[in-house]
Amino acid sequence: MAIGESQMDDGGPTEDVEAKFGWRHTLGKITDDTTARWGLYIVAFVLVISAYTMVDSNLSRLTFGVLSDFTFAEAIPIFDHPERIPPPGEGESHLPPAFHADGSMAHPLGTDPTGRDYFTRIVYGAQVSVSVGIASTLIGFVGGTIIGSVSGFYGGKVDDFLMRIVETVYAIPPLILIIVFTVFVSGGSPDITYAILGVGITFIPVFARIIRSEVLSIREMDYIEAARASGVKRRNIILRHVIPNSIAPVLVYATLQIGVTILLVAGLSFLGYGAQPPTPDWGEMLNVSHGYMHANVWLSIWPGLAILVTIMGFNLFGDGLQDALDPRLED
Amino acid sequence: MGLARYTLYRLLQAIPVLLGITIITFVLANLAPGDPVQLMLAGQEVDEELVEAIEQQYGLDRPLHERYVTYMAGVLEGDLGYSIHWGQPVTELILGRVGPTLLLVLSAYAFAIATAIPLGIIAATRRNEPTDHVSRIVALFGVSTPSFWIGIMLILLFAVQLGWLPSTGLVYPWRGPDAYAWIDTWPELLYQTARHLLLPMIALGTLQMATLMRVERTQMIESLHGEYVTLARAYGVPERTILRKHAFQNAQLPIITIIGLNLSTALSGAVLIEYVFNINGMGRLFIEAIQALDYQLIMGITIVFGTIFVVGVIVTDLSYAYIDPRVTYGEEE
Repeated sequence: MAIGESQMDDGGPTEDVEAKFGWRHTLGKITDDTTARWGLYIVAFVLVISAYTMVDSNLSRLTFGVLSDFTFAEAIPIFDHPERIPPPGEGESHLPPAFHADGSMAHPLGTDPTGRDYFTRIVYGAQVSVSVGIASTLIGFVGGTIIGSVSGFYGGKVDDFLMRIVETVYAIPPLILIIVFTVFVSGGSPDITYAILGVGITFIPVFARIIRSEVLSIREMDYIEAARASGVKRRNIILRHVIPNSIAPVLVYATLQIGVTILLVAGLSFLGYGAQPPTPDWGEMLNVSHGYMHANVWLSIWPGLAILVTIMGFNLFGDGLQDALDPRLED
Repeated sequence: MGLARYTLYRLLQAIPVLLGITIITFVLANLAPGDPVQLMLAGQEVDEELVEAIEQQYGLDRPLHERYVTYMAGVLEGDLGYSIHWGQPVTELILGRVGPTLLLVLSAYAFAIATAIPLGIIAATRRNEPTDHVSRIVALFGVSTPSFWIGIMLILLFAVQLGWLPSTGLVYPWRGPDAYAWIDTWPELLYQTARHLLLPMIALGTLQMATLMRVERTQMIESLHGEYVTLARAYGVPERTILRKHAFQNAQLPIITIIGLNLSTALSGAVLIEYVFNINGMGRLFIEAIQALDYQLIMGITIVFGTIFVVGVIVTDLSYAYIDPRVTYGEEE
């Protein structure tokens, strides 16, 4: 990972330290820790599921909401096509899960009000949630890194100004800000793309704060002084020295943030301001099933469990990464 | 700097943030591609005269900065504009709905603090024992589960399946028993309030509980390793006294900060919980305002939410300085 490499670039640490901080060491520590290992498994599992449904389709999948013809369901023939709404009379709606007396293995988690296979929709939901989580975290990460490093490196008035903006954005409760952003910027017709943008922008301040405090300590390092003395341009100092060296804690934070983002987007879609039907997003599915809460309890249970497991995976993995990268915890 | 001056300093510091909140909201609402008047009339036949009349009434034909100054002049007098959809002043609408939201958020905090602190302490004193593992698993579930889904599950279990508790609405104690035809006495009123509040409180408070418990556990472990604890032990101070007086008191300060900062998550959660439990608070009003695209009301609610957060952080900061005499307040961060 970047941590080991960047420290090599600066020629600072001895080989001894490199061994302790390299990505192999980090990975080793994660797999040593039972809970972190489970986090890794869950994250890997969810990522593989999302990638699988993404690879086996044409590019229209990336536009969210428009599903292509080839599906997971066709790869494993017992599952129905998620978006094919059976014509009236065909395909039973509100089928209970397989373990129920009236259920069947053809629809392991039953069917939804329009007769679509719920299991397939949950699997697709992984793809939507994970892509949304990663995409919006990436926006926050990149934006926060730029603002945080500029702010921390230049200091003074630039810092004051940027930090005031950061503080202000931070003060508006995220869900409120994202809904306001999504609704107004989309001109009244919210969509998952606006939701990604909104969530990403809302989290820029959080990332900016972390990277700024890292930069503040790195700014005083000897090698920055050396780079300055040898006439390296400021922009290059930030890009080649400051950012690579302050990125580690932010990476950990980003992992944990993916979980937070998925949670938030689920809430957003639940209220109807994220993914729109028929996109099989877990939050959107909970939104639809909310109307059938009394008629079909199962519809409300599965998407929630899927969210819970996924976020738990990212949290466990993120915690493990944090422990592995924190030299103070080294015994 | 004394406490009084520190208070003043923190309040002054909040002014640019509050001003910033109004600017962000105003710019978002006015510079967005969707023109507010068009949004308002969405689905209706566009009548040029009507559009112009509305634009004139709300001053939308004037330049942006001029409109902002007019709007801010109103805000400073407590006038947040006029809601077209409800036909009522925004301030009035919000004031009518702020109570339930505050009741919900505060009770969720009370639940979180009452459960997280004892559990965190137990987990810290029995580190790596089964009790500790259980509490960590609870915390993990707490931070990983969407609050609105917890709400739905609680409704399905306790209201639908068991029929023990109501699933919608709240009973407001400040209205008095006379406001409810089916409630006669004060004790009954309070009992009904508690019954209605229980499920939404747990749904909203679980995330806070989990976060606080994690922090409490870490702080207590660190605190129990402090030199002052070792010294107290060497003097033969009983373990219970050490826990209560030495370790506990020093571990509480970071908790207070977390409580303040988590207010933004709690307010976000309140929007979802009010929606799930049909509570007529500010969150529901916000959703309704968004659905109606009532942009002055949306702006007003956003500003009020931001202000609640800023005030909350200041209050926790001040209590921090008040509780811990070691805190040298007033120094620039």
